Amino acid sequence: MFGLGDISIAIAMLGSIAVTLICVIYGIITWNKGDDSGEGK
Amino acid sequence: MNTSSGVDSFIFSFLILGYVILIGYLGWRGWKKTRNSKDYLLAGRSVHPFVMAMSYGAAFISTSALVGFGGIAGQFGMGVLWLVFMNIAIGIFAAFVWFGKRTREIGAELNARTFPEFIGKRFRAPGLKIFISLIIFVFVPLYSSVVLIGGARFVQEIMQIPYAWALTIFAAVVAVYVIFGGLKGIMYVDALMGTVMICGMLLLLVTCYWKLGGVIPAHQALTDMAPLVKEHLPAEYELGHRGWTVMPEFNSVWWWTLVSSIMLGVGIGALAQPQLAVRFMTVKSGRELNRAVLVGAVFILLTVGSAYTVGALSNVFFYRTDLGIAGNFQSLAIQAARGNPDLIIPIFIREALPGVVLYLFFLTMLSAAMSTLSSLFHVTGSSIGHDFFRTVSNARRDSLTVTRIGMLFGILLSIIFAMILPPGIVARGTAIFFGICAAAFLPAYFAALYWKGATRPGVWASIAAGTASSVIGLLFFHRKEAAAIGICEALFGQTELISTHPWPFVDPFIYSLPLSAVTLILVSLFTEKLPKNHISRCFRKK
Repeated sequence: MFGLGDISIAIAMLGSIAVTLICVIYGIITWNKGDDSGEGK
Repeated sequence: MNTSSGVDSFIFSFLILGYVILIGYLGWRGWKKTRNSKDYLLAGRSVHPFVMAMSYGAAFISTSALVGFGGIAGQFGMGVLWLVFMNIAIGIFAAFVWFGKRTREIGAELNARTFPEFIGKRFRAPGLKIFISLIIFVFVPLYSSVVLIGGARFVQEIMQIPYAWALTIFAAVVAVYVIFGGLKGIMYVDALMGTVMICGMLLLLVTCYWKLGGVIPAHQALTDMAPLVKEHLPAEYELGHRGWTVMPEFNSVWWWTLVSSIMLGVGIGALAQPQLAVRFMTVKSGRELNRAVLVGAVFILLTVGSAYTVGALSNVFFYRTDLGIAGNFQSLAIQAARGNPDLIIPIFIREALPGVVLYLFFLTMLSAAMSTLSSLFHVTGSSIGHDFFRTVSNARRDSLTVTRIGMLFGILLSIIFAMILPPGIVARGTAIFFGICAAAFLPAYFAALYWKGATRPGVWASIAAGTASSVIGLLFFHRKEAAAIGICEALFGQTELISTHPWPFVDPFIYSLPLSAVTLILVSLFTEKLPKNHISRCFRKK
């Protein structure tokens, strides 16, 4: 797969890209969400 | 004047000077805005999410990742790509979403400004704060030193200057701006450095694939080289190395190192890094952390993903190119690097890239090292000035002088370590530090965020058990360190106490972390709980 000798290496490569996409989507969806308080005293 | 790598010394010096002036300016801006210890330690809790994410990423990813683990990929192959997955899934997503938000909220509620203070206040244990600050002060210089080595090796190869000079210049530049800038200065500089790192590493990856004929042809060429391992690298073959695009042989020495030390130790250890945890307390709301997840993940993918891929693919380049480095045509990466994996990435960059691009790479590596070192020196200084000195002396205010002396001491200690540590130590030193942090701090940190029933004695016992078992594991069980340190040999007449495979190759983190977690649970179940009003205050918004 992709010229790689082992499926587990391909999974690591694709998994890294997939989890990055999840983070990007999470960041976009929650861009304006989140608690605004909590300033230290 | 040109060096042998095609780098013009004048342009090079001019560029470095310009870069130092720029980061000096950013550090100065931060210093000007640093009015009190909250500014100095937490950048005033009002940092922009882009700056926070880039700063976190730049502090997280250092030359130890790019040069050290990139070199390991060059020696042993793409199995290290699992660490990229772990870095993003655990070091970014889990860290920001499940640890970061609660750390920020509880830290703000308790007015904690450092990681030791966070744990100390959460469990109402000033002694614990001192203990953690001492652990940080003892072990952080080890990590700082390997980051220094990674940067200095790069300077050494590119500039062709003695290692000792490269090391001294490198440490001096970092020392100046970290001592005077405070965290606000550091985070601005880190954001700039993170941007430089992304550009540099992306360019490196694209250039590498372009030189090797494209993505799949490059991978295929590397796959086809697998039979060369047995022929050219018999020592690595014995360890379980079977090619650069396959996992090592199951249950082999290298398999255990990859899985226990690199994937799990470094991957999970990222959650309990004091210099990273403090960054969660620098933003003013959870919204900034949500946004930082996006930036941080892309940053990690492009920097370490590129480094590990290029490290492995450098074998194709070295094999096809007559560099005259190893004295013969068709050398593999580790042969071209004269047996030192820490030199694979610097030599590849020097040999494969045109001179003009080298300048960008020098700034990339400089940024990678300096951003992490500055955060490490900052956490070392604050552990002494804020956590130790202020608590012990009962002072009402922080002593910035003591903090700066602590930093200076940490810097000197790191330089000494960097002088005496053996070649090829960068990745291993990083794994040791991450493993110790995970075993010592992760259960306590997790409990501070999520378990109302965790008690002060439970956390004390957990941190003590995690630290002690990690150190004992390194001294008496894990062969590489036990053999190098020699205490086990002196006391018991053997390199390690258990020689049955795979135990000499299992990272101490594998048993230290569960031991630390079980200790926390058991001791907490049978000891006095913290007052309800304190718990309610900590978990007010949960």
